[in-house]
Amino acid sequence: MKPKRERKGQFIIIAVLLAAIMIISIGALLHTAVTYYKHEPWEEYSTLIGDIEVNTRRILELSLANYTNSVAGEEDASILKTNIDKWQNNLTKIYPNSGIILTYLSTPQFQTQSWNPRAAADFMLDITTIGLSGYKFSLDSSLSLSIIEASNSTTTSYTITAIIQSEKGFVPNLRKSNFRVNGAEITAVLPSLSASNIPVYNIQYDGTFPATLEVWDERGIRAVATASVLS
Amino acid sequence: MRSLRETKGQMRVIETILAASIILGAVSFVGVLAVRPTSPTYEMTDLEKMGYSALHDLDQQNLLASFVYNGEWSTLRTALKITLPVDVYFNLTVYNLRGAKLNEGNEVVYGDSATFSNAKNIASVTYCLSGIAMQTGTRYTAEYDPRIVVLLITRG
Repeated sequence: MKPKRERKGQFIIIAVLLAAIMIISIGALLHTAVTYYKHEPWEEYSTLIGDIEVNTRRILELSLANYTNSVAGEEDASILKTNIDKWQNNLTKIYPNSGIILTYLSTPQFQTQSWNPRAAADFMLDITTIGLSGYKFSLDSSLSLSIIEASNSTTTSYTITAIIQSEKGFVPNLRKSNFRVNGAEITAVLPSLSASNIPVYNIQYDGTFPATLEVWDERGIRAVATASVLS
Repeated sequence: MRSLRETKGQMRVIETILAASIILGAVSFVGVLAVRPTSPTYEMTDLEKMGYSALHDLDQQNLLASFVYNGEWSTLRTALKITLPVDVYFNLTVYNLRGAKLNEGNEVVYGDSATFSNAKNIASVTYCLSGIAMQTGTRYTAEYDPRIVVLLITRG
């Protein structure tokens, strides 16, 4: 009887030890699972990617602004590529231990129509320290100026109706200081809706006709269009 | 026989006590593993998250670049104070690529110097800006001119 009882006790102890090992293992697993997202700085990673994306877009915008504001004949079409190349190098200096590699998939280029300047490029981002590889993003910056109507109330007082759009759509909050017509004084800039319910600007000025209308958006990108027929 | 039954009962009690102590030991060991949300490990991560989010939010709205390139330091301080929680103190410094401090004499600070010298956890966040178009008279000039924004944050 005695040896039988001892074996029974050993079995319970072994079972309990196994149960304890299981509890510890499950506890450790649960702990890792629950705290993984706390430890892993996902938000910092996404912010870093966002920072690079936002500021790469800004390079497109300021390069396009630089190009469109240059004196005629002195435009530098390579400024976009030059700025992006500098940005690629500087990113590695600004974030020295991140292993950031920003590459463009196609040579960044301008579309140079004066009424619709546009810069576009496709990029690929690798951040080796966080295991990010082949993150692709496309950027596009543009300003479009389209004159839909020109009319006059007197021989010197004119109104030009124009649609002004960026890559995101209608450009709001433009004021008199954002426009220039033949170097003349602009008397009013009134946003309204066209007959087909498209947001437009009515630019009133005292001066001459035909009119060369220039517009700058808040990013400094300049577009130019000419109206030569009065309605 | 009576004596044998009594011994058997004692063994069961001892086994139960041993089993209970092993299980309790295991559970308390698992409890030790758990890191509390207020531990320094989380505090640093939380502060970094907060700092990155604040700067990124301001940048997405084109406010950060505007404040930094136009030298609107007091407005930037106000914007950060509004964006970050009240018990979070900060010290923001802006450098150019050569490492020169650009807001010298115009400190963007919330909290006194003792706050940072006595703080247990100070998180450092680096954010970069590429440039901005500036209006000069009737013309715009737009040059590539990066800025490095370093934000130190701690909890008061």
